[in-house]
Amino acid sequence: MTTDEFDLHKASTLSPYIGQDFLTWLWFKTETGGGLFRLSSEDQVGVHMEQRISVQGGEGETKDTATSSGPQSELTEARLGLRTGKKVTQARLRIEEDENAWQLQLKAEDFSISSLKTPKVDMRLEEGEDPDARFLEKMFLIDKALQVVDELFARFVRLRFSADWQTELTAIRNWVNS
Amino acid sequence: MGFLSASASFTRYRIVEDVPESLWPRIPDLLLQNAFQDIDNTHDERAYGWVSIDSMLDTEWSIAPAYKGEFVAFALRLDTRRIPPSVMKKHYQIALEELSRKNKEDGKSYVSRSQKQELREQVRLRLLGRTLPVPAVFDVVWNTSNNRVFFASTQQKMLPLFEELFTQTFQLHLEPLTPYFLALNLLPEDRKAEVNEYEPAIFVE
Repeated sequence: MTTDEFDLHKASTLSPYIGQDFLTWLWFKTETGGGLFRLSSEDQVGVHMEQRISVQGGEGETKDTATSSGPQSELTEARLGLRTGKKVTQARLRIEEDENAWQLQLKAEDFSISSLKTPKVDMRLEEGEDPDARFLEKMFLIDKALQVVDELFARFVRLRFSADWQTELTAIRNWVNS
Repeated sequence: MGFLSASASFTRYRIVEDVPESLWPRIPDLLLQNAFQDIDNTHDERAYGWVSIDSMLDTEWSIAPAYKGEFVAFALRLDTRRIPPSVMKKHYQIALEELSRKNKEDGKSYVSRSQKQELREQVRLRLLGRTLPVPAVFDVVWNTSNNRVFFASTQQKMLPLFEELFTQTFQLHLEPLTPYFLALNLLPEDRKAEVNEYEPAIFVE
């Protein structure tokens, strides 16, 4: 099985819609639910949107973007944008588990990841240590952040394609207007 | 920038096919067959291929093999010669004046379009030979436990180049883990069609 032309066309048209709906939903979730999520592994993680959120509305020449930088409570520009129908096109997520923290920038249209920062890995090699140890530790940490993102996205998709979406949608609309 | 740097940027993929068991031991050979070949001593404009993730100069994996735990890790190196437009313009002008002079001596009052075209190409090739290729390296990490592949670039022009070389090397196809494909993979078979009918949600009444 290979990806055919049809899929690729659909993928590039629909990915931005799905990605923007997800990030906008996630913003709602993190703000109204205190940012705490229990993963399928039973681990509890904190997820926050911070510093930089971009929202965008319109298409082509009428495209309009608003970006907010600052702590979550002051994301005023972006919040106002939501009220005029804009959606989140890019967000900076902060993931916390116990005393560890990750940061990453997620782009709605293709889910490309930028500026992923993991908890610090000690880059010095101890004597007798496997030379790949640093690499393996770093990949483990990168994977951990992506598992959180994937699990949140899976939660969104299950909800979005279920009958419960209508209830969620009403709650999001109330939040946007609050 | 690679995965070991303090801040990583990358694109994620899933391998579409089942990876045959027989492929694993062949990976070092396949990488070697598609390894980067230096163009420092040629006039080539561009070259790309695989190198060791530990050093862009190691095209034989002599420092360490590509296997790292459950991962296969290597890097894509792309060397490009670029002539700055103003340099091209200057040297073309010098060559054109010289050719006009020569043509005049031969009794021709103008330089033809095809002569100009040929001259531009000659100048370009001559300058390419005098320009140093600029190297760029992008890490590739293949997680063999779930056959996901990370490519350390989000540049739109780099992605097709990487995808093609990966397929050419391993005869395996990559599917980008974009929202559309991730959603498709999450839904059961009988509901996948709904993704193709996706209507953007309206969050304001």
